[in-house]
Amino acid sequence: MTIKQYKIIKLAVVIIIAFIFSQSVIAQNFFIPVATLVVSALILLFLRRRVSGVMADERDYQSGGRAAILAIQIYSWVAVIFMFWLYSMQDTNPDYEAIAIALAFSTCILLLLYSFIFTYYNKFKLTNKKFLYGGLIVLVMIILLLLTLRVFSGEDNWICKNGEWIKHGQPDWPAPTVECK
Amino acid sequence: MDNYIKKFRQQKGLTQEQLAQQVGVRRETIVFLEQGKYNPSLNLAYGIAKALKVKIDDLFILK
Repeated sequence: MTIKQYKIIKLAVVIIIAFIFSQSVIAQNFFIPVATLVVSALILLFLRRRVSGVMADERDYQSGGRAAILAIQIYSWVAVIFMFWLYSMQDTNPDYEAIAIALAFSTCILLLLYSFIFTYYNKFKLTNKKFLYGGLIVLVMIILLLLTLRVFSGEDNWICKNGEWIKHGQPDWPAPTVECK
Repeated sequence: MDNYIKKFRQQKGLTQEQLAQQVGVRRETIVFLEQGKYNPSLNLAYGIAKALKVKIDDLFILK
């Protein structure tokens, strides 16, 4: 298979995925898009192995590295600006706070992930203590995951019920000042 | 860094595509190299010198 043929098939797969995704959202079925994504990834992986010719070389990897850094920086700045803006607007709509937290956490996770991967390529490959550092990384990731789940679990929060703010769990902040409708 | 990749490639009668295939890169990379817009890794520089059967010193000039 040539690279051109592979690219055409890839484009067709993307169009099919987009169509299935849109239909699944309408039908409110979330199993189909996940299954489609997995099957498509496997098909593309299989086809990529059959491609004769160079798909990417050192220049692509170099450009990819630069593009990744720039994309991370742009995303982080945009997310942080939006986060502050949403926090300042939370009195108008309490849902903005959850979006702001999601943006803040996604930025932190993205930057941490980047730091880990960068450290891996920059230093980890040269060290002899791979198991020790690998274990530490896994431990930090688990702690981060648990913290993230704890924050997003919604265990401790104020819930609006029958026009009143009701305590759910043990939130360590006062009830929202906005009217509960 | 300047180079004589285009000159030696033409002397050998190779196309950019053929040279790219021999050294395992995409044709666009050879275009970038010939235009002096990309500095290759040591590995690629050696690969090109070997494919063109010239010394690496004769192929690249440090500005």
